[in-house]
Amino acid sequence: MAQIPTPPVIELKNLKKRFGIGDAEHFALDGMDLTIQKGEFIAIMGPSGCGKTTLLNILGLLDRSTDGEYFLDGQDVSTIGQRRQAQIRSRQIGFIFQSFNLISRLNVIENVALPLAYKGVTRLKRLRLASDILANFHLNEREYYMPYQLSGGQMQRVAIARALVNEPSIILADEPTGNLDSRSSHIIMEELSDLHKRGNTIIMVTHNPRLTTYASRVITMIDGHIDTDTFEVFQLPDPLAKRPLGVIPEPSPKKPRRKKAATSTTPKRKQK
Amino acid sequence: MRFLLVNHIQNAHQSLRASRMRSFLTMIGVTIGVASITAILALSGGASKVVSDQVDTLGGNIAVVRPGKTTDPLSGLAQVQAERSFSTSTLTEYDLTTVAAIPHIQAVAPVMILSGVIKASSVAPNDSAIVASTPELATISHLETSSGQFLDPSVKQNTTVIGVQLSINVFGTEQSIGKTLTIRGQSFTVIGVLKRLNQPINYNGVDFDNAAIINFASGKQLNQGVSQLQQIDVQADSVAHLNQAIIDVNKSLIVNHQGETDFSVLSGVQISQPTSQLFYAIAGVSGAVAAISLLVGGIGIMNIMLVTVAERTREIGIRKALGASNRDIAWQFLIESLAISISGGLVGYILGYVVAFGITTSFLTFDPLLNWQIAVTALSVSVVIGVIFGLYPAFRAAHKDPMDSLRQYN
Repeated sequence: MAQIPTPPVIELKNLKKRFGIGDAEHFALDGMDLTIQKGEFIAIMGPSGCGKTTLLNILGLLDRSTDGEYFLDGQDVSTIGQRRQAQIRSRQIGFIFQSFNLISRLNVIENVALPLAYKGVTRLKRLRLASDILANFHLNEREYYMPYQLSGGQMQRVAIARALVNEPSIILADEPTGNLDSRSSHIIMEELSDLHKRGNTIIMVTHNPRLTTYASRVITMIDGHIDTDTFEVFQLPDPLAKRPLGVIPEPSPKKPRRKKAATSTTPKRKQK
Repeated sequence: MRFLLVNHIQNAHQSLRASRMRSFLTMIGVTIGVASITAILALSGGASKVVSDQVDTLGGNIAVVRPGKTTDPLSGLAQVQAERSFSTSTLTEYDLTTVAAIPHIQAVAPVMILSGVIKASSVAPNDSAIVASTPELATISHLETSSGQFLDPSVKQNTTVIGVQLSINVFGTEQSIGKTLTIRGQSFTVIGVLKRLNQPINYNGVDFDNAAIINFASGKQLNQGVSQLQQIDVQADSVAHLNQAIIDVNKSLIVNHQGETDFSVLSGVQISQPTSQLFYAIAGVSGAVAAISLLVGGIGIMNIMLVTVAERTREIGIRKALGASNRDIAWQFLIESLAISISGGLVGYILGYVVAFGITTSFLTFDPLLNWQIAVTALSVSVVIGVIFGLYPAFRAAHKDPMDSLRQYN
């Protein structure tokens, strides 16, 4: 048994997710094999309905796969109890949604402090931590605003602040800039990129090929499995950014490894 | 639960305030239920306390013998009670002399309540009582006269001592010594007027302020020469001897009655029970009303909580994504339903006492009972309602699928 010093943060083996039964049966994920190391910034692309969001939800322990295995930090997720899963969501995973998903009844600082409550931090400390992180996002003047009083970019920054307040190691972003104009998008992406530099693992679903320039690895999905995957950091972000949506870089700039998921040749790991 | 309790309470406060009208209407159900429970307990407790307090102030050495076997007051509600004054009593004059002969018994007085019209210059109201008794009644029941004298073995037959209110009712004055009134067509001379007692509820079952007390012999004469004892008041020579005296009374009366226990000897709290039978009846009916109201109130809470859960499905999804466990979510909604029921209960408790004091000051002569047991009952009833009817919505909320919840259109 070859012992790997640090197990990959996320490892998926032949993961399947089925929706519907009988005639309506449909596999949103149809045999996903994926290994993600700590500190990667992954952009997942693909047409609508190819299972990107489903994948993200399963990675974030919000949903369970129908079949296959998912190892989080080397531990099989199916063996983790509901309470422990909630704890992992609380301590290790930060969610960023396309629609921000701020709780409209709560003001900005309460929204940001919410994950801390489930972690068991006292009220005073919660507010102090939330205030600190909001200051990082230049939102400290908006602490007592209600979400509807903010612009889209501000709301997303609040949502990111909320996702980060627990200092999670994995950040899952589902089209974080989908509802934003390009200027706000840029700010948000700078923030994510900054987080990446500080060693966080980021998995981002996006429709916008320009944003892949921030990523260290781009995965394209189709029909519930991986179409292309590149481990390489893109050296020349600009020319790639101009490629049309959904098109995979054909003349690869630096021999990006490409593989079909159907004939999966993901690096075999001898650990179980 | 960690530090979440405070958080949940703040959260409940916030969400209830956000929909004030809805929370208020939901609260009302519990409020009415708890208010009626509080009022019932306060009033029936107050009524029983009046009588037992009287027994205590009379020295605590009083027992009464009543005809018939005293049953549990609540089981007595199931059947229609025969009106006492129409049934023939099982107590006899012979019982009276037997009881009087028992050691440690200081005084014995018969209470014979007659029905009939009292009139002088004007007719006394219907609720005026005619009581035939012996002079000992004054010592046992601490009756004092404001003018004149009480009955006396030496005075003539056709004399009466009347209550001050009766005096005012029939003569128009408190000073009625020497005047005559007719009871059941016979003339009686007033030889004494009682001091005002203001105790319409007491263990004799007679409002002495509004009664005419005549000699036992005259009473028999009015009743075709037959005695009809509603009650025999017994006074022991000391509190310590009361229990022994009661046992002796029981023994000798059983012999008198050929082994039938068709009488009961009561002391202390027991005396007050038949008096408060009416209150038990009222309490039973209003208890049922309260139970129904609480049930409906509880269903209202459940209904509103289910609506709240449905409205906040997305919030539940978000909270779960941020690390809330099922238990956290369940507590959040359970505490919200508890907040509704407890605040409803508190308002109901206060409202119950407002009603109780309103009733007593306008219709009754005693104060409602104020004690911690009633407060605890009111509080625990509302907590139980909140938990019972909040559990299902909380369970539903906790078991919502986070993904479906997040997908819900906001």
